[in-house]
Amino acid sequence: MNATMMGREASSSPAARSRGAALDGTGTLIRFILRRERVGLPAWLLGLTALLALFLRALSELTATEEQRQDLYRIMSGSVGAIFGPGYGRDDITAERYVVGVYGLFFFVLAALMSMLLVARHTRAEEQSGRAELIRSGVVGRHASLTAALIVAAGANVLLALLLASTLTAYGHDGSDGLLFGASVGAIGLVFAGITAITAQITEYSRTAVGMAGAVLGVAWAVRAAGDMIRDYGSPLSWLSPLAWANQTRPYVDGRWWPLLLSLGLAAVAVAVGYSLSARRDLGAGLVAARPGAPAAAPWLRSPLAVVFRLQRSSLMWWTVALAASGLLVGGLGDQIADPVGMSERRIEIFGGSVDALLDGYLGMMALFLTVISGIMLVLGLQAVRGEEVEGRADPVLATAISRWAWLGSYLTVLSLGVVGLLLATGVATGLGTVLAGEDVSYVWDMALAFLGHAPGVLVILGVAAMLYGVFPRAIGVTWVLIGYSLFVALFGTVMDLPGWAMNLSPMEHTGRPPLDGTSWSGTAILLAIAVGLMVAGLAAFRRRDLETR
Amino acid sequence: MTTAIATTGLVKTYGSIRALDGLDLTVEAGEVHGFLGPNGAGKSTTIRVLLGLLRPDGGRAEIYGRDPWDDAVKLHRRMAYVPGDVELWPNLTGGEAIDLLGRLRGGLDPARRADLIERFALDPTRKGRTYSKGNRQKVAIVAALASDAELLVLDEPTSGLDPLMEVVFQDVIRQAKAEGRTVLLSSHILAQVEALADRVSIIRHGRIVQSGTLAGMRHLTRTTIEAETSRPATGLDLLPGIHDLEVSDGQIRFAVDGEHLGVAVRHLGEFGLRSLTSHPPTLEELMLRHYGDELAASASGGTGVLT
Repeated sequence: MNATMMGREASSSPAARSRGAALDGTGTLIRFILRRERVGLPAWLLGLTALLALFLRALSELTATEEQRQDLYRIMSGSVGAIFGPGYGRDDITAERYVVGVYGLFFFVLAALMSMLLVARHTRAEEQSGRAELIRSGVVGRHASLTAALIVAAGANVLLALLLASTLTAYGHDGSDGLLFGASVGAIGLVFAGITAITAQITEYSRTAVGMAGAVLGVAWAVRAAGDMIRDYGSPLSWLSPLAWANQTRPYVDGRWWPLLLSLGLAAVAVAVGYSLSARRDLGAGLVAARPGAPAAAPWLRSPLAVVFRLQRSSLMWWTVALAASGLLVGGLGDQIADPVGMSERRIEIFGGSVDALLDGYLGMMALFLTVISGIMLVLGLQAVRGEEVEGRADPVLATAISRWAWLGSYLTVLSLGVVGLLLATGVATGLGTVLAGEDVSYVWDMALAFLGHAPGVLVILGVAAMLYGVFPRAIGVTWVLIGYSLFVALFGTVMDLPGWAMNLSPMEHTGRPPLDGTSWSGTAILLAIAVGLMVAGLAAFRRRDLETR
Repeated sequence: MTTAIATTGLVKTYGSIRALDGLDLTVEAGEVHGFLGPNGAGKSTTIRVLLGLLRPDGGRAEIYGRDPWDDAVKLHRRMAYVPGDVELWPNLTGGEAIDLLGRLRGGLDPARRADLIERFALDPTRKGRTYSKGNRQKVAIVAALASDAELLVLDEPTSGLDPLMEVVFQDVIRQAKAEGRTVLLSSHILAQVEALADRVSIIRHGRIVQSGTLAGMRHLTRTTIEAETSRPATGLDLLPGIHDLEVSDGQIRFAVDGEHLGVAVRHLGEFGLRSLTSHPPTLEELMLRHYGDELAASASGGTGVLT
C-alpha cells in the first residue's frame, strides 16, 4: 500500500502533492470528532431548539393584547431596545417578531459560544494536552485537524439553522422567514468558528483562545448596541459588527438575505487567516510565547485557603467585573424600563404589582436574575475541583498535611466568600447605576442589601453541587438543571402563573424580592442552614470516598 | 529496627477487578525498598492506599503503626510523595508549585531546595503547562526531597528523566538514605533498583510474590556456572538442583539452585578445575522467573521460544 501511495504522489505535481498531503486524514478526524461529540453536540443543538420553543410559547402569552404589545414596544425602542437589537418590527409587534428581534440575541451568543468551544476543543485543546502529537504522527496532514474541526462546526451551524427554522414553522410562523432567522444565527456561528480558528493559533492555551474569541464577541455586541443607540434601526457604526448583519436580515419584517454575505465573507477571511497563521508555527506552540513567572511562591501562599484563592482568583475577578458591569447597566436603564406610561397589567404584575413601586419591582427582579447567574460561577468552581481530582493534581496536595476537609472546605469557603463579595459589588454597582440615572442615593445601600439577601439562595445551589461532589461526583452536572429552573422561575414564573409549590422548588424564591419587599430574614436563616447542611454532608461524604483519577 | 510500612492482606477491588489481592508488604525504617512489578500489577494502587487516597476493601495497612486512612494528615507530615505522572497547575510556575507542596506539608529547607533545583537543572520560572514530562517529574522530586520527610514514597519517580538526571536522582536517594530516611521506590527500571535498593518486593496480580534482600533472593535462584576441567566431569546430572547441563570438550555449563551451589562446585573440584566463572542472577532474571510464563504465553501462541 505504501508503494502505491508513493507512486501516486510522485506522479502528481508538487503543488497538488503538498495540498493533498496537508489535508490527509481529514475524513477520519471528522468521524473521530463526531464520535467524541456524540453527546455534547446534540445536547447543544436540542437545547437551543428547546429554548426557542420555550420562548415562543411564553411570548405568545405576552403578545396577546394590544396593551401588552404597546408595552413591548417600549422594550424594543430607545437605549433598552438597542441592547437587544436595532428594533425592526416594533411598530406592529407579533410573537415571532419579538422573539427574533429581542431574544434573537441569546441565540446569536449561544451559537457563537457553541462554535468557539467546538473549534477550540478540537484544535488547541488537543495540542495542549499532547494528544495532537500522537494524531499528527499518523498519516495526518498539517491542516487536517483544523479543517475537520471547522467542517464539523459548519455542519453544526447548518443543522442549528434548520432546527430553528423548523421550530418556528412548527409553531405556525412563516417557514422562509424562519429559515432566514436560522441562517442568521448559523452565520454568527460560522463567523465565530472562524475567529476561534485565529485565536487558537495565537495562544498556547485552549481557555485563552476561547476567552479571546469571547472578547471579540463582547466587543461586537458593544459596537452593535452603541451603533443602534445612535440611530434607530442601526447606524453605520452598527454595520461594523457581525452581530448587526444577523439583525439586519429583518426576518418577519421584510426579510433579506444579502447581509449574510458579509458574514460568510468574514468567516472565509477569518478561516484563511487561521490557516496561514497555523502554517507559520510549530505544533503545540503559540504565536505568543509563554512568559516566565515567579521562581518562588509569594510568602502569603502557604495555607490551603490561600492556594485555592490563588487558583480561583482570576475567575472570581472576571465574574465580579462582568456582573457588576451588568448591574451598572441594569440600574442605569431602570427609570426607562420602569416607566409606567403604556405598561401592561401583566408587566406591572411581573414587576411586583404596584404602579407606585415599578422601579423597585424591576430592580428586585433583576437582582434575583443576576444572582442566579452568579450561581453559574459556583457550579463551574466545583467542576474545577472535580478537574483537580480527576486530572491528578489533587493527589500530591492531599499527600501533604492537608486533610480532605481542609482541601474541599477551602474551595467551598473561597467560592462562598467570593460570591458574597460578587453580590455586594454587583449590588453597589446596580445602586450606582440607578443613582446616576437620577434616583436617590439610598439606592446604593438598598441594592447592596437586596443582592446580599439572595446570597443564601445561591449558596444552597453551591451546597447541592458540593453534596453531589461528595456523594456522586459524576453527577455534579445535575446542578445545571437547578440553575436553569431557578432562572426560568425568576423570569417567567409570574407570567406563566406557576403554582406555589413549583415556585418554591427554586431555592431563590424564599427570601422575597428586595428592594420591593423587605428581605425575609427567617427565610434567609433557613436557607443558610440548608446550604451549610448540604456542604457539610458533601464534605463528610468526600472524606469517606476514594479519590478518583483518570 | 522499627517498621515504617506494614500491610497485611490488603485487598482493593474495582468492580470485578481485584487490583490488590491480599498484599503483604513490609518496609523497615531506614531502608531503600524497591517495589517492582509490571504495569497494572497494583503498584500505584498500593501507594495510593498508603497515602490514604484510597480506602482498602480488606486487610490492614499501617505506617509507623498508624492507619493511613484515619491518620492521613498526621502521617503526611512525615511523608513525601512523588507521583509517576505529575500534573502541575497550568498557571503556576514550577517554583511556586514546589513551595506550595512543601509549605502544605509543613515547610521545606530553602538551601536544600536551591541545591536540588541546581542539581536537576530545573528552570523554576516556567509555567506548569510549558514543562515537558521530565521537567514536571523534576518539580515533584524537588518538592519531595527538599522537605524533611522521613518516609519518601516514590511512584516511578524518574519516568521521563534522561540518563544524566537518572544519575543525579540516584545520588540524591543515596544521600537521603545516608540521612536515615526511608524510601519506598516503585519502579520498573531494574538497574535503578539494583543500584539503590536494600530490599526488594516483587508484586504480581496484586500480591507480593517475593520479598527480601537482593542477595537473599539471588540465593533462592539459580547461579550460572561455566567451568573447564582437566578430566571430563561426570556425574553432575546426578546431583540435585542442576539444570540446563551442557558438556563439550571439557567445557561445562549449567545452572544451579542457590542452595546446591556448594555441592556442585566441590564436585567439579574433583575433576581438576582449570577455570571457573559464575554469574549471579540479575534482577532481570529474577523478574523473568516470575513473569516468564506470561511472556511465554504472549509470545506467538506458545511456540516454545521461552521455557
